[in-house]
Order: sequence, then structure tokens, then C-alpha cells
Amino acid sequence: MHETTRRSGVWKFVTYAFILLMAVVTIVPLYWVLVASTLPEEVFLSSTSLPLFPGDAFFENFRALQARESVNFIRSIGNSVLIASVYTLLSVLLCSMAGFAFAKYEFRFKEPIFYTILATLVLPIQLLVIPLFLLMSQLGLMNSYWAIILPWAANPVGIFLMRQNMKSVPDTLLESARMDGATEFQVFYKVVLPTLKSALAALATILFLFQWNLFLFPLVVLESDKYTIPVAINQLVGAQRVYYDQIMVAAGLSIIPIFLLFLFLQQYFVKGIIGGSIKE
Amino acid sequence: MADKINAWGWDVAAKSLEITATDYEDKTGAAVSVSQMGQGNMNDKFKSSLLSGSGAPACAMMEDPSAPAWVNTDGLHDVSGWIEEAGLKDKFVSGKWTPLQDEDGIYGLPWDIGPVGLFYRRDLFQQNGIDPTTIETWDQFIEEGQKLPEGTGLLNIPSNDYDGLWRMQFRQLGGQPFTEDGHVNIHSEKSVRVAQMLKRLYNSGATVDKPPWTKSWFTALGDGAIASLMSGAWMLGTLKAEVSNTKGKWGVIKPPAFASGGPRATNSGGSNMTIAKQVSNAKARRAWDFMKFSLATEEMQTKIYNEYGIFPAYKPAYNSDVFSTEIPFLGGQKAGELFTEVAENIPGYRYTTATSEVTRAINTHLGRMFDDKVTPAKAVMNAAEQVAKRTDRELA
Repeated sequence: MHETTRRSGVWKFVTYAFILLMAVVTIVPLYWVLVASTLPEEVFLSSTSLPLFPGDAFFENFRALQARESVNFIRSIGNSVLIASVYTLLSVLLCSMAGFAFAKYEFRFKEPIFYTILATLVLPIQLLVIPLFLLMSQLGLMNSYWAIILPWAANPVGIFLMRQNMKSVPDTLLESARMDGATEFQVFYKVVLPTLKSALAALATILFLFQWNLFLFPLVVLESDKYTIPVAINQLVGAQRVYYDQIMVAAGLSIIPIFLLFLFLQQYFVKGIIGGSIKE
Repeated sequence: MADKINAWGWDVAAKSLEITATDYEDKTGAAVSVSQMGQGNMNDKFKSSLLSGSGAPACAMMEDPSAPAWVNTDGLHDVSGWIEEAGLKDKFVSGKWTPLQDEDGIYGLPWDIGPVGLFYRRDLFQQNGIDPTTIETWDQFIEEGQKLPEGTGLLNIPSNDYDGLWRMQFRQLGGQPFTEDGHVNIHSEKSVRVAQMLKRLYNSGATVDKPPWTKSWFTALGDGAIASLMSGAWMLGTLKAEVSNTKGKWGVIKPPAFASGGPRATNSGGSNMTIAKQVSNAKARRAWDFMKFSLATEEMQTKIYNEYGIFPAYKPAYNSDVFSTEIPFLGGQKAGELFTEVAENIPGYRYTTATSEVTRAINTHLGRMFDDKVTPAKAVMNAAEQVAKRTDRELA
């Protein structure tokens, strides 16, 4: 008895130490970007010292960023937020509908279809860029937001996550709703979705981040007025000069929307990820 | 011909095209809109449009090192017929054509080159009794450099860009990184000589290590912590803009030779313009006309050189007075004459699809050489083996 509490105490200590270490490893680069964005370039690039405290050059760096002709950074934040938001709403809807079908309906070739969808995960984005680029140009969608939103709207990761979560919804719940005369869509919308709030929040976060970080495809499809944040930041890499001070400011600012999203959804987030692994 | 086309370019080159586009419109009434992009962005975007056969602009800039990879996509328009028709082949410095062609055709029109000079701080050399006119070889340069006081670097050997110096010197000796069959050749006797020379420079204790194109580098050039700089002619424009306080304190000589009487011409940097195959005939013809106007007329080339220091590959431009005027920033030196002389003697250089691997390998292994882990000969051999292994090529 005594033995187990001691052992679990040690175990707890090890666990927390590990979590703390991981937190530090994650936070240091982030903190460094924020500090660097407030310092003149020659200070944070000096190889002799690693500055730990913010300076007062943030607005100077920001003004330099604003003065660049080849990139409108503020606009790119707007572009990114718009694209990622519309994509997330659309994709959450599509993924949860598909997940519902795979979890709760019986139809021919259900398993092969599902695993085919899952198999597309092994295709790297780089491989898909050229075919998608061609498709978009034939659809006349080049340089439009839709060109970035549509290709991954039915995201295989999302479909998989939703299928796992939908499986945890008891069939009896669905049956009783049907008895009460609910249509299939009402069952999905009014019964199933409300029970999966945390999973949906987790999914939304994953999808939003996925779209937020996309680089290569937006780069080849969009023109400068529609650039998303990663593409806009890459505009700061000149043929010879790399404007690190401006890159740091841009990177620092681009963290804010993501930070807010996490703050808003984090209470659901952890539950949702775990929810996918529990089956009734 | 189409009356509206678009062109892609980066940095000051894009700005130069905006200048010529304005004049072109006045002359012909056809509009050229220029998109200015980051270099990495543009390369990725243009390459995807070549591979997919859609989305390319009417014409685009193309750097010498990336030319083979782009030609290799088979997506570029063969302009050899037009070049012949306009009689342009001999009007450009001969070293420019190598990366632009394959056995079937020519896929671009040369724009600029970077005839290399050794820029030096006139004031520092004078104060310390160094006479740059007597420096003929690298060994003399090292010897004279010992006269500089502690804390003044004779030359910058940046640890993130060893290959920049290596490539300039290797080309100076007439070295070719690849044989005609595409075999890796960066371990040749010439490359060994370059590595040995860089090692001697490094061991002389007179060099510094500042990452180029950063503020600390410019600061060092401005306050005399770096006394000389080996670079293309276009560097003059950069120095004027970034260290304007040193006006009149700079001079330039030809790169020192490896042995007395040896070659002293090499190149750093340079671009071309190209047209994608997918572009409609009407647009392609207009793009060619615009390229010819911008890159193959004395008037436009001198205008661009004056504005941004981009050095023409188009030889007739050298007759312009611009190249024989005194340059106040260089203490009144007529540097244009020196650079045009260098330009005429630049040996050709074979870039391939594996060029970026060479850059990486040379950087890594020269670094190990400077750390005394390997000999110069072993360093370039290791680099060659690495490139051969990673790109499935044979050693020459």
C-alpha cells in the first residue's frame, strides 16, 4: 500500500518533469521569435550573445515591414484568417457527415472506400501540387480563395477522427430519435453533433492549423494581393538580403490569431483528441 | 503580337524591368505589367507552371545556376531562331550561353553578368602602406595583408558561404564543376589549388567571418573591419546604398592571379530572361520583342546599369560613356573599363541540375578543411563523392 503511493509519487514527478521539459522546448523558440521581433537585427543576429529580454525596436521593425513594396503583410493576415475560417467551417461539416456515414451506416464496399480515403494520407502535398494546379487552372479558379479552400475540404484526417468519435455515440440514442420521427439529417444534426462538441472543437483546431500552415500550394496558385501569411513571409527573402528583423515581426504577429483560437478551444481540445480512442 | 503581357522578376531586376516597360510602352503602345516577387517564391511558382504547362507569365527572369533545371523541365520556348534572326549570338559575352542551351536549342536571352573585382578600402590600404597596384597574385595579397593592424580583416571568409569564394576562384582558373557528360569534377586539380589557396588565406590569420548580407556585415564594411571584398561589379550599387558614408574610400582591382601572369577574370551572379512554351504565339512574340528591347539595346542596358548597377552581358553597351566615366564612390577610378575588360575574358561555366548539391557539399567540406580535420585535396574529394552519391552521377 505504502509502496504503491511512493512509487506513484516518483512516477508523478517523472511525468511532470518530462512535461515541463517539453513545455520549455516548445516555448523557447516561440519566446525567442517574440524577443527578436523587438530588437534591431544586428543585436539578435550577433553570434556572441543570445538576448533574453525584449528591446524597443518593435515598431521600427514593423514600419520597415510595412514599407516593403513586394508584400502587404497586414492584408495577408486577413487573407489567412478568411481562408482558414471558411475552410474550417466547410471541412468540419463535410468530415463529420462522412464520419457519421462510415460509423453508423451499412453500405457496400464501406471498408474499402474508407481505407482508400485513409490511404490518400500517404501522398505528400508536394506530389499533389501539380495535378491540383492543373485542375484549378482548368476550373478557372486560379488566384482565387476557393482554389485553396476546396482541395482538402474533405480532409482524410478529419474523416478518420470523426468516424472514431461517431462510433462512441450509442446506437440506441439514434434509434429513439428515429422513433420520434426525426429525419436522418435531424438525427445527425440535432442528436449526434451536440454530443460531440469537444471532438468538433479538436477537429476545427487541427483543420485550421493545417490550412494556416499550407505553403507550397497557395504559393503557386495565388497572386500577391491574395498571399497567405507563409507566402508573404517568404517574400521577405530577397535574392541576397534576408530581412530577418521583418521576418521576426511577421512571424510574431502571425502567432496571435492561432493563439486566440487555442485559448478559445483548448477546454474542448484535449477531450476531443482522447475521445477518438475510446470505443463503447 | 499581343498588346498586353506580364513579366516576373525579383528585387532590383524587377524594378529595372519596370523602367524598360515604361519606355517600351511609349515606343510601341504595348503594355507590360511587371510582378515583383521574392526570389524563392518566384522560382517555385515558375517551376510549377513549367511542369504543369499552365499559369506562366509571358516572360520571366532566370538565374544562371537554375537555368539547367528549368531547361530540363522541357517547358521553355526555344528562342534560337529569333536570336539568329536578330543576329544576337555574338553580341553577348560568350560565357553566358553555356547554361542556356541544350543540344536542341537556346532557351533564354542573357541579361547581366557579374565580372568580379576585388574591392578594397583605399584609405586603409594607404594608411598601412599597401600599394594595390603591385598586388598581382593571391600570395602577394596575403603577404601585403599582414601589414594591416590587429582587428582589421583583410578579407571576409563567411562560414555560411565558402562556396561563393570557391566558385569565383575555381571559375577564374577555368575549372568546370561538371564534365560535358555530367560527371562530377569538383575534385579536379584546379579545385584542389583553390582549396589550398583558401586555406592559406584562412591560416594567414588576416580573415574574418561575418555572414554576408546582414547588418553586421554592412557595419563591418562601413567601419573598416573588413578591408576588401571579392564580388561582382553589381556590388558597387549595394555599397553605395548601404555604406554611403564610405564614399570615395573604395577602389577596385582585378582578382589576383594564382600565379604571376595567370588569368584574372571570373564572374559572380547573372540572370537571363526566358519564355515558357505554354505562352500563346502572340504573347511569346511580344515577350521576345520586349526582351530584345530591354536586354539587347545599348540605351536600356546603360539605363539599368546607371540606376541599379546591373552589369550588361550585351557587349555593344560597353561602348557607352558610362563605362569610361570616373566613379566618385571609388575615389574617381574609371572602374567600368576594368570590369568590361574582365567581362570579355570570363570563362564559361557549366551549371547543372546538381549545382545546389555542389554548393552544399563544398560548404560542408571546406568547413572541415578550415577546422584542420581534412587536407584541401581530401576536402574537395569528399565533396565530389558526396555530390556524386546524392545525384547518381559518376566522378570524372
